[in-house]
Amino acid sequence: MTTYFGVDVADVIETMPSRFRKEAAAGISGRFGYDLGEAGRWRLAVRDGDAALAPAEDLDDCLAVVATDPQTFVGIQLGKIDATEAMALQKLTVAGDRGAFGSITRLFQKYLPPGEEALPDTELVVLKQTISVGQTFATGPVMGRFLKGLKQKKILAMRCPVCGRLQSPPREICAVCRVRNTEWVEVGPKGEMRMLEYVYYASPDPLTGETRETPYGAIGVLLDGCRDEEVFWHLLNPAQLDRVQMGSVIDGQVRHGSRLRPVWAENRTGSIDDIQYFELDD
Amino acid sequence: MARGTKNRHVGIVGIGETKFSSHREDVNQPEMIHEAVRQALDDAGIGIQEVDCVVHGNMELFEMVHQPDLWHVLGTGAYGKDSFRITTGGTTGGTLVCAADNLVASGMYDVVLAIGFEKLQEGHTTGGITNMADPLWARKLQSGALTDSAAVKLIEEFGPERAKRAAMTYRIIMDQHACLNPNSHRAFGLDWDQMDDLMADSPPLIGNLRLIHMCSQSDGACALIFASEERARRMAKRPVWLRDHITVHREETLNLCTNYYPNNPTHRFAAEQLFARNGIDDPLDYFDVFEMYDPSAWWGVDWLRDFFLLEGDAHLKLVEDREIAIDGRMPINPSGGVIAANPIGATAMVRVAEAAKQIRGDAGPHQVPKTVRHALASSFGGTMWTVLLMLEDELNGWGMP
Amino acid sequence: MQSDFDTSDCYTIEGKLALPYTYFAGRVGSRFITTLRDQHKIMGVRCDACDTVFVPPRQTCERCLGDLTDSWCEVGSRGRVVNFTVVRYPDRHLPRPVPYVLAMILLEGADTPIVHLLEGIPPEQVAVDMAVEAVFAETTTHTIRDIDHFKPCDA
Repeated sequence: MTTYFGVDVADVIETMPSRFRKEAAAGISGRFGYDLGEAGRWRLAVRDGDAALAPAEDLDDCLAVVATDPQTFVGIQLGKIDATEAMALQKLTVAGDRGAFGSITRLFQKYLPPGEEALPDTELVVLKQTISVGQTFATGPVMGRFLKGLKQKKILAMRCPVCGRLQSPPREICAVCRVRNTEWVEVGPKGEMRMLEYVYYASPDPLTGETRETPYGAIGVLLDGCRDEEVFWHLLNPAQLDRVQMGSVIDGQVRHGSRLRPVWAENRTGSIDDIQYFELDD
Repeated sequence: MARGTKNRHVGIVGIGETKFSSHREDVNQPEMIHEAVRQALDDAGIGIQEVDCVVHGNMELFEMVHQPDLWHVLGTGAYGKDSFRITTGGTTGGTLVCAADNLVASGMYDVVLAIGFEKLQEGHTTGGITNMADPLWARKLQSGALTDSAAVKLIEEFGPERAKRAAMTYRIIMDQHACLNPNSHRAFGLDWDQMDDLMADSPPLIGNLRLIHMCSQSDGACALIFASEERARRMAKRPVWLRDHITVHREETLNLCTNYYPNNPTHRFAAEQLFARNGIDDPLDYFDVFEMYDPSAWWGVDWLRDFFLLEGDAHLKLVEDREIAIDGRMPINPSGGVIAANPIGATAMVRVAEAAKQIRGDAGPHQVPKTVRHALASSFGGTMWTVLLMLEDELNGWGMP
Repeated sequence: MQSDFDTSDCYTIEGKLALPYTYFAGRVGSRFITTLRDQHKIMGVRCDACDTVFVPPRQTCERCLGDLTDSWCEVGSRGRVVNFTVVRYPDRHLPRPVPYVLAMILLEGADTPIVHLLEGIPPEQVAVDMAVEAVFAETTTHTIRDIDHFKPCDA
């Protein structure tokens, strides 16, 4: 019997079906794999609210497979280890449909070591859910015109009539000068990379409820026609994360970053996704 | 920046802090808050009846509950009292202090209870912060409070070797302080000889920002009681006077511009304004301790230069020579700072609470080993929002016309 | 202010706010729920200083800030309607198809009413002062819905 945190890992695994809250599992079905190192490989089959667990060598038929070591697994079940931190530390990985796996994990009642379930004072109720609310975002006239420009493969900026700085995406006013921006200017579409955020940490995207695929790159691009702080924020082709160079301007000294071009989506609707990402302009 | 004068002085007379942790399953939100409120009332030696007004805050919607101040009446003591809710992102705790100060200084209320809290285990911190960004553009690109920009900036200026060592030196000193503070969430007991391993092996979050550099995500609450000079002098412990505070932000930073350079940080502007109007030429000399809101070790190092109006590599030297340690020339975060505990809605208030404890001399194991008469505290929030606050031991002519 | 506002570039984009969250009921809340779930009993707490029995229970009296942790008392599963409303607008987040009745119910022994569903009677016939009793749920959700609804009963 192997114990972690004073608890037998085999008991944690074997009680999974009984801890599965069928009343909350309506409409969820599929196979989910658990690759738990020395604690073995398991397949959880969910259908019509019922969950069945069996050892399985081959997890290829699973919607998603979580791989971790037994200690991390038990720690997460007991609430002693935070799953997201475990992912950031790469002690836990999920292959396949992450979203589906995420919804499954919320359906298990917390594991209580044998003997502890009976005591009214020690059982602590913990509810886990994902709130998902539909939202409608209004573009307004300025952002609307900018986004429509993307449909035509144009990147637009607005210029402040007082300080002359460009903003893209544009704002109705220049916050520094406190005046209405008046002039529309087309910039780019190519430019040089000024900043790269090489993101390893997988976080939930509130716009979709899905966990972001990592690693990805969020970049600041100085588009042609822009200068100094007028960088454009978007994404980099994740396959090129290790090939790009950041540029900079420090005390007037210019160092040029990688030259980039946008990759346009085939089907453009007037949103940030009209540009898929930027890539090296080889 | 234009600013009037107070109608009367304001003192901090009661301090309450819960232990910060990540597994407070035994309490719901109002119960957790009540722990801090009870401590603050006991510390001030008053009952809830003597409180005129309650100001309450946290990061809006982080626990997926709107307007939690209504529910929290079950623990805050706000029943039947005037109450305000303030939520300004990471600076919430500090802004609550500013609000309480203004409410008492104005003459409208004699005793104000300020409460900041967060129960980050009930939400998702990074997702919640990402949700604050512009939904049509930045929300898809931002990942919470995580950024490599501070590291890139330091590495550009000082080279990778020196910059990385400085950040890790800062980190270890903060951990040493955390080990002295029984309320810390994370105190690892890091050793100097772990430095190279940590720099190489700690999992990267974004670029050069590694897990070891980044602040905690904690559950916790902080409560402070503010009183007018006359009431403060009648209350039990010795009051800590709130001398002045300033709030500066650059709203557009996160929505549209990426935050590399020449990113005019609000910190220097805030420091210049605050110190100039208080006649302080040399803040490094004037202040005895600084509880700085340091969301990451990189920012902690970087912002020292701006807050103390330094130039060149003077701030790196403060770190390298360990002057920022608890027994150094300018102790930074004897509490362990934000890296050791970050219940966001409370965090900025905890900086003020800890600075106040230092002035009172009762911080306990993490008390700075010298007389503390002038303390500085800062708050930080997403859009380069800075609140800078000055606390004093004595009223000796400052602040009144 | 411009009165000739040009809206030709204005449109809307559909999106979501979707984030995971956790709720900790705490010791007091957990005991309330597990007692509902396992024993079909409804528990409250009593503040002696304010002479009030609170249902649902809470750790602190909001009025005097007294500690109520050890002042548990059972209240009845029957009570009377002190107020009610009929929900008529449909929404997928609501617990029942419309129309349905939400009633404020003062349970025997309690000083504070609870809000819950009232079923088994046409909405037009619901009246203040009606006697009602709790119907407990078959499967638990670890929420107040471990009482599934209230129904009319003899006074």
